[in-house]
Amino acid sequence: MKPIPLEPLDTTELQQKYDDWIVFVERSHHGSNPRINPGDAFTPLSKPLSQSRVALVTTAGAHLVDQTPFHVETVAGDPTHRILPDDLDPSDLRFTHTHYDTAPANQDPNCVFPIDRLHELVERGRLGAASPVHVGMMGFNPDPSPIQDDLAPRVAGILADAEVDVAIMVPG
Amino acid sequence: MCHRSVGLVQGVVEASGIPTVTISMRPDVTYGVKVPRAAYARFPHGNPFGEPYRPEQHHLVFEALLRLLEQATAPTFVELPFRWRRWKQWL
Repeated sequence: MKPIPLEPLDTTELQQKYDDWIVFVERSHHGSNPRINPGDAFTPLSKPLSQSRVALVTTAGAHLVDQTPFHVETVAGDPTHRILPDDLDPSDLRFTHTHYDTAPANQDPNCVFPIDRLHELVERGRLGAASPVHVGMMGFNPDPSPIQDDLAPRVAGILADAEVDVAIMVPG
Repeated sequence: MCHRSVGLVQGVVEASGIPTVTISMRPDVTYGVKVPRAAYARFPHGNPFGEPYRPEQHHLVFEALLRLLEQATAPTFVELPFRWRRWKQWL
């Protein structure tokens, strides 16, 4: 497989577009506020990927069929998470989210939660191992405070407990 | 908003000492939230790794994220050279 080039993104207008989006969000959703990251965090890889344990973390509303679906009918959002064991049956995955078209994901979860691809990369030796657990969340949260203050530290703790070396973050 | 939520989680996970990378279909939001490593794909929401049952396409995206992890030495935002040929079905 020929690797695709990684071209730097032209970010010229992105800050203005983001600022416009925040104005729109704050007008249309109660409780919103402009939380962002400090922006200075950068953790280098500690070991080659071929020796790394990799987790998938998604806000695409992924959960198992026997887990409580995310609340998508409230304007408040749902800042909770679901543990997705690595040995799950992909046909048991469901995607509950009302702000993107979940039809492709519900057809083939690998569109947004590439669990089979992860396992293939481990089999090929490109990655060391799959994390024993992955994390599903639902990204429609007008108020980002509980995401940053509560949910994100919980997820970081789950990944640390699983001795994860690398996390692949996937929006819906 | 999915992009802001996942970006905020990414920031905290990275700060906790675990390297992270994200795929993004909303580069403005991902850029504004400030994440350590991101790759923009001109794909529809709901298809960050591509279309259903296209494992070779999923692998192209996955591999790009892995190489970004390997190559970046500071916060980096790249664009993947993909175009979505079936946009009309989403409009």
